[in-house]
Amino acid sequence: MRTTVPAAALLALLTACGAPPPAAADGLTATLTSPVDVTLRWPAAEPGAAGQIVEFATDAAGPWTILAFLPADARAYDHPDLMPETTFHYRVRPLRGEASPVVDVRLPPAGADEPAADTDLGWADPRTEPARNTGAPRPGGAPTGLAATVMTRDAVRFTWSDNAAGEDGQLLEVLPAGAAAWTVAMAVDPDVNAVGLMTLATERRASFRVRAVTYGPASPVVRARTGRAPGDS
Amino acid sequence: MKRPVALIGAVVAALVLTTAAPAAAVVEAGPWTSYSPSFNVQERGCGSVNGLTFVLTCSTASGDQRAERRYATYSSGVRQFEGYFRITSMPGTRISLKQTFGPDGPFFMLAVERGGRLYAVHGGDTLATGATVGTTVRVNTVHNTGNGAHRTYINGSNRHSQTGGSGGYYDKFGAYRTSSGQGPATVVWSGVQFWRR
Repeated sequence: MRTTVPAAALLALLTACGAPPPAAADGLTATLTSPVDVTLRWPAAEPGAAGQIVEFATDAAGPWTILAFLPADARAYDHPDLMPETTFHYRVRPLRGEASPVVDVRLPPAGADEPAADTDLGWADPRTEPARNTGAPRPGGAPTGLAATVMTRDAVRFTWSDNAAGEDGQLLEVLPAGAAAWTVAMAVDPDVNAVGLMTLATERRASFRVRAVTYGPASPVVRARTGRAPGDS
Repeated sequence: MKRPVALIGAVVAALVLTTAAPAAAVVEAGPWTSYSPSFNVQERGCGSVNGLTFVLTCSTASGDQRAERRYATYSSGVRQFEGYFRITSMPGTRISLKQTFGPDGPFFMLAVERGGRLYAVHGGDTLATGATVGTTVRVNTVHNTGNGAHRTYINGSNRHSQTGGSGGYYDKFGAYRTSSGQGPATVVWSGVQFWRR
């Protein structure tokens, strides 16, 4: 008689035995849809992933560059108008990390696009202020205590308690009023817990949150070699 | 302008960082020969340079505010520049990051404004929208001095092409206040390489 083993139990068993878990985005393919356009496709993200990143390099040894942050359910990515006669290497990795609670920001109607001249904006630099951290850091710890202080007509300073250990970075995310999707307003280094943001016109009424992120194991690398650019003889 | 990078349940956009020391990642058909042109550092106004970190400390909206490297002039062959920049702080806006200068002045100027829009200073064309503060962007430029063709690749994609005249050209990069811009800004460059063929 056949025995059925739940996938989660099998994964736990393999991990306990030292076998690596399945790589993210196994089945990744890179297809040239023209001599200089590539489409990537893959079947699934890591279960429970908060998102995915797509990376590329033009040398197998790197450096690897993140092309895009994608939602967890993304299965494809287009990389267009590429450098001709060049080999592109691609891989996909899961994104892990919980977001902080959300804060809402309301700024007065927009004025000029720029900060006032000769204004001290040193407070906007990313900083680590240890006194703001309220607990022992742990892997995957979500930021807490996110606060937004309006500093100028266009600028907001965000502060939070950094509760993560071993994160690869942190993302300040924004959801403008009326928008359907969160986007990244800024990326900051691990351990930063205070930073200023110069808002865009669309962000004068918006929600914000911060997320400490780590990147999971990379998928197998796939390659595509571009041809001559259109018009080249 | 809407910021481009998408996340959970969100839209797609470009967000970049590098994770290893740069290798010989030259692009387009060769054969290419690596070379190391000399350079000098230019600090004007509130600009300062520390290695590959270029800082404009003031929000002054006038005068010459720059922190840059100016590389040696070239006048023959096809030249390729590669570099990666990461804006670590930019309370200001409209800061030029990379320039190719020609005999008649700036030939191509890549700049960034608040929110991460990369644009060509002359003409204002949008090149990409992925220079969000804190992320790293790869830049390759290929310049053929024979026919004047100049191509700019952002994260591997051709985002700008133009042609020009002949004569002596040189590369500059760093942080430079454009005529409509202002700091502060901090830009960190890495993986800078040059090739010719």
